[in-house]
Amino acid sequence: MLTIYGKSGRYCDGISRRSFLTVGGLSLGAFGFADLSLANLLRAESKTARQGKLGHKAVINVFLAGGPPHQDMWEIKTEAPSEVRGEFRPIPTNVAGIQICEVFPKLASMMDKAAIIRSVVGLKDRHDSFQCMSGWLSNDLRILGGRPSIGSALAKLYGPVDPAVPAFVGLSGKTQHGPWSDPGISGFLGTTYSAFRPDGPGMENMKLNDISLDRLQDRRQLLTSIDNLRRDIDKSGTMNGMDAFGQRALDVLTSSKLVDALDLSKEDPKIVEMYGDGKPYKYQYDGAPTCNDHLLIARRLVEAGARCVSLSFGRWDSHGANFDLVRDHGAKLDQCLSALIQDLDQRGILDDVTVIAWGEFGRTPKINAGAGRDHWAPVSCAFLAGGGIRAGQAIGATNRLGEYATERPVDVQEVLATLYHNLGVDTATTTVTDPTGRPQYLVEANPIAELI
Amino acid sequence: MLRWISPASWMLLCITALPAAELTVSLPANYSAITLRGSDARWQLVVNFKDDQQQVVDATQRAVYRIEPAIAEIDATGYIKPLANGQAVLTVESTGTNCQVPVEVVGMDQTQPVDFHNQVVPIFTKLGCNGGGCHGKAAGQAGFKLSLLGFEADDDYERLVSETRGRRLFPAMPDQSLLLLKAINESPHGGGQRLEKDSHEYRVLRRWIASGMPLGNGKERIVSKIDMLPTARQVQRGSTQQLSIVATYSDGSTEDITRTAQYESNNTDLAGVDERGFVQIRDQSGDVAVMARYQSKVAVFRASIPLGVQTDSFPPTRNFVDQAVFAKLKTLGIPPSNLCDDSTFIRRVTLDIAGRLPTPQESLTYLNSTDANKADALVDRLLASEDYADYFARKWVLILRNKRDSAGEQFGSFAFHDWLKQSFHTNKSYDMLVRELLTASGSIESNPPVAWWREVAETESRVEDTAQLFLGQRLQCARCHHHPFEKWSQTDYYQMAAFFSTVTRKEGATPENPVFVSRVSAASAAHPKSGARLKPTGLDAPPATLTPADDPRHELVDWMVDPNNAFFARSLVNRYWKHFLATGIVEPEDDLRVTNPASNQELMDGLAQNFVDSNYDLKQLIRTICTSSVYRLSSQANEHNLGDASSYSRYYPKRLQAEVLLDAVDQTVMTGTTFDSMPQGIRAVQLPDTGFSSYFLDVFGRPAGTTACECERMNEATLAQSLHLLNSKEIQAKLIHDAGRAAAMNASSQPIPELINELYLSAFSRPAKASELETAGKYISDRSANKRQAFEDVVWAIINSKEFLFNH
Repeated sequence: MLTIYGKSGRYCDGISRRSFLTVGGLSLGAFGFADLSLANLLRAESKTARQGKLGHKAVINVFLAGGPPHQDMWEIKTEAPSEVRGEFRPIPTNVAGIQICEVFPKLASMMDKAAIIRSVVGLKDRHDSFQCMSGWLSNDLRILGGRPSIGSALAKLYGPVDPAVPAFVGLSGKTQHGPWSDPGISGFLGTTYSAFRPDGPGMENMKLNDISLDRLQDRRQLLTSIDNLRRDIDKSGTMNGMDAFGQRALDVLTSSKLVDALDLSKEDPKIVEMYGDGKPYKYQYDGAPTCNDHLLIARRLVEAGARCVSLSFGRWDSHGANFDLVRDHGAKLDQCLSALIQDLDQRGILDDVTVIAWGEFGRTPKINAGAGRDHWAPVSCAFLAGGGIRAGQAIGATNRLGEYATERPVDVQEVLATLYHNLGVDTATTTVTDPTGRPQYLVEANPIAELI
Repeated sequence: MLRWISPASWMLLCITALPAAELTVSLPANYSAITLRGSDARWQLVVNFKDDQQQVVDATQRAVYRIEPAIAEIDATGYIKPLANGQAVLTVESTGTNCQVPVEVVGMDQTQPVDFHNQVVPIFTKLGCNGGGCHGKAAGQAGFKLSLLGFEADDDYERLVSETRGRRLFPAMPDQSLLLLKAINESPHGGGQRLEKDSHEYRVLRRWIASGMPLGNGKERIVSKIDMLPTARQVQRGSTQQLSIVATYSDGSTEDITRTAQYESNNTDLAGVDERGFVQIRDQSGDVAVMARYQSKVAVFRASIPLGVQTDSFPPTRNFVDQAVFAKLKTLGIPPSNLCDDSTFIRRVTLDIAGRLPTPQESLTYLNSTDANKADALVDRLLASEDYADYFARKWVLILRNKRDSAGEQFGSFAFHDWLKQSFHTNKSYDMLVRELLTASGSIESNPPVAWWREVAETESRVEDTAQLFLGQRLQCARCHHHPFEKWSQTDYYQMAAFFSTVTRKEGATPENPVFVSRVSAASAAHPKSGARLKPTGLDAPPATLTPADDPRHELVDWMVDPNNAFFARSLVNRYWKHFLATGIVEPEDDLRVTNPASNQELMDGLAQNFVDSNYDLKQLIRTICTSSVYRLSSQANEHNLGDASSYSRYYPKRLQAEVLLDAVDQTVMTGTTFDSMPQGIRAVQLPDTGFSSYFLDVFGRPAGTTACECERMNEATLAQSLHLLNSKEIQAKLIHDAGRAAAMNASSQPIPELINELYLSAFSRPAKASELETAGKYISDRSANKRQAFEDVVWAIINSKEFLFNH
């Protein structure tokens, strides 16, 4: 018996929907709207020279949906008056001169492996993941389907590392407020490059539907003897592709790589322990749960070959009880994010995997009557680790009240450009073609010079 | 001794050692010698060798050069640069022949002023400085902005010379100018090193700075045209061809700009080109074009690459389509495949015209018919069927963006679809269809094509969709800047936009059903930079004369449907040709740029003329295409034409489109698919708009109707498709359906070979071969304990075979 989310009761949401993946002793590979075009498949197969311990570069995008309070995370405004300052004290980190919020002691102890940006600008007051996933606003080029997110761009540019594992995975289940769990759209690249979602429509094609493995083998032989049209008559490559993918699909049906990656029962219990438990879920409402497991699954997916894993962690929209929320979500994030960094480091793949945790905007300096903070788009923050960045830095600063960036404003596009840079994509020269034939740049900013 | 021929032939003929073979140097019209004016002048030679078979090949990089006296130097690539004033003779030698050309160098003793517009800006363009990823993007790069591709050179001058207190340029110490330090990456440059310090471009920029950054007279002296040498040539596979380009300015002066222009091949499988204009012909045969652009001008070199097989036997020539294609095949030396058999033809033409598989009965009747005219009769029957209207309405609703975003829009989207279907069914002439669409006023209830105006809500989208859909012109680029590969400027764009300037949306019965009217006012649109009010004007046309009472959209359509319009008919026939023959005469089918020429001009012209002559009769166009021998060629390659992908020497297979494939599966498996809120029995090709969820249709690339581009439909193969077809609940449910084919086969008392034959007839329009009967028969008899499953497996294998998935 195999369940993809491992121990019963440790799942994040809706395991019943996913339990169809439980198929006796046979585990099955999985695809959604996989990013596996023929060119990509061939590219993936021809990739032989592996470099670094992971062999490819990847990004784990932890979206702190709802907008975390930037002044209660990585820059405590100690000089601000009490109606702004809030309840938290700063604590020192293991990098001299950098202090962060007391809620994050574990992350503070590994600040030398991370970098924080205290001055993310260019965000709009919109409750969606769009900017953090793509660097663009959702209405940009909307008429063509919108700008592609980083995961879709990677799927298009590089294709899968392993044909049985999609390049782009969105881990979050659908949230009641949908835009918070959007893993990033494929936009004008087309649905071929959209995220594989474990609860998505393609997943059930992974399971042999009322067919035994023996019968599949029989069918396969029959198809081989019946299917006689010469495939080389099609120079467009589609026929070749259909043939290659037909074979591949039949192989995938007997592969378990993706399902294994999603299955935490295959993980060392000590490691699972290290990431901690996000339960009980508090403040979730219409957002994502604080599912610590997702960060571990993200690491397993990256190891299996994913290039981009995005997930939504918690619901940080703290219009009320801001400090209780940060204590709850923050402590959980502290544990699983620090575990992820440590885990990647111990495996020797931290330089290959960029981890980022951030939200769609910051929160008001002034604390409201309900001890909450409201939306504040002028400035926000981000936490980064891995991917070969120059760690141990705090970039930028806000004014005394945390209202706006006073030092080194970092545009959201610069953050995306940095992620692309770490993934080996030169954003100054790389374009993807939109449906009107125009070459479009992925983002129009340079990577953050301080980090690369 | 020099022997001259008429300059009009654009060739300077030279004496040769052998009587039959000769060596020539290409020179522009009116040139009798190579003249280099000033130290910045350069000249790219193009040397032609005509062998004793009268075949002309490029010898530029093979020839040996000598200039005497040495007033200029020439390298192995035929690139000349001046050294001193004077006159000399260039001797070119190759393959035992030689020729001589006079060379003159003047103006070396005078300092030529550097012209910002015509010398400095083209360097930025060539080096990529003003590209969309660098300083050319709207926000500039690192605080320094240039206009995209240098189309606003005056602004560039201001920014360079005046911005940031002139820090970018130091006339006193030109080498210390930030512009040069960055370009050679001596001062850290995000774009890296773009320039060598000892390069020609560096020296031009340096001299411009040292001389005090003159603006020059580039505002008056503008490029009026560029000429490519040669313009067209038949070239051998694997060969090379040097190009040269001469710019002519408005003051009549000329200049070689070969290495400042930019090049692009329209088919990199056939030919590649480098930044020097040196073309590498690949190993495939066909027609290819190499485009060059310089400032706002473009020029094209067209190469025909023959396979060179003696080709004499052709299928019967049934109409002008065959004439044009076979003539091209003869020139290229590509023997066509044989005509396909009757089974293949009825399946092919039924799929292409009616968007469905032929029924077994239709196939049998056709196969058994001895009527010599049966193919033409079949085409006529299909065109008269409602299935034709369904299929082409489906094709058009998607590029006409018949989206349904809310329930309230359903009335309009259904009505629009119905109007399109009726238009195709009654064979409304194409000009009338376009007129009714583009001049639609009133409410959707009274006038369904108003739905297009509702969905395509902005003037810009209307301009761009109209240009792309009906004229094959992609104007999007020209909205914000001069089109980089085309002659269209922002003026052209906003002159087109002026046609749409009087259209007003008014409140209708419901918010989703607005009313559109054309206001009484003088139509115009503002140029976004100059602010000038532009009058409605078609592309390359004189301004329309209108009174404020006129609906300018009628004037637009009058211009479009004029028999002499260069775009309207061509765009449609190319779109339809691609529908049937898989590859457009121009690719992509809606990008009829001058720099993207037709692979078969005679075919394009013939189809367009015929379409105009028929008064834009769409069914007649389809009839012409489908009754030609070209359309009937087998997809099976002969020993020569497997590599042909653009000359139509055989039929190129197409994967069935999402909707057609789903219907074909249902027809073969004898099941149905129901779509939300639609009555049972509605097939996927009959869906009126985009508002129907279906994983099957999405995974096989159904477009979302967000653009006017056919390219939105994905025909790429993906793993998700294979998984769905091979192993999805949806397909398995069809296979095991109690009313499905496997159940019927299992329940039938007919002999198994007959049942298998029926299945083959249904899926492939042909009876099963003996070997196929045996394979399937044995598979079933081996599983007598569970025959129904065995039948399911056979049906499964059939619908997963390439013969099923493709129209071939």
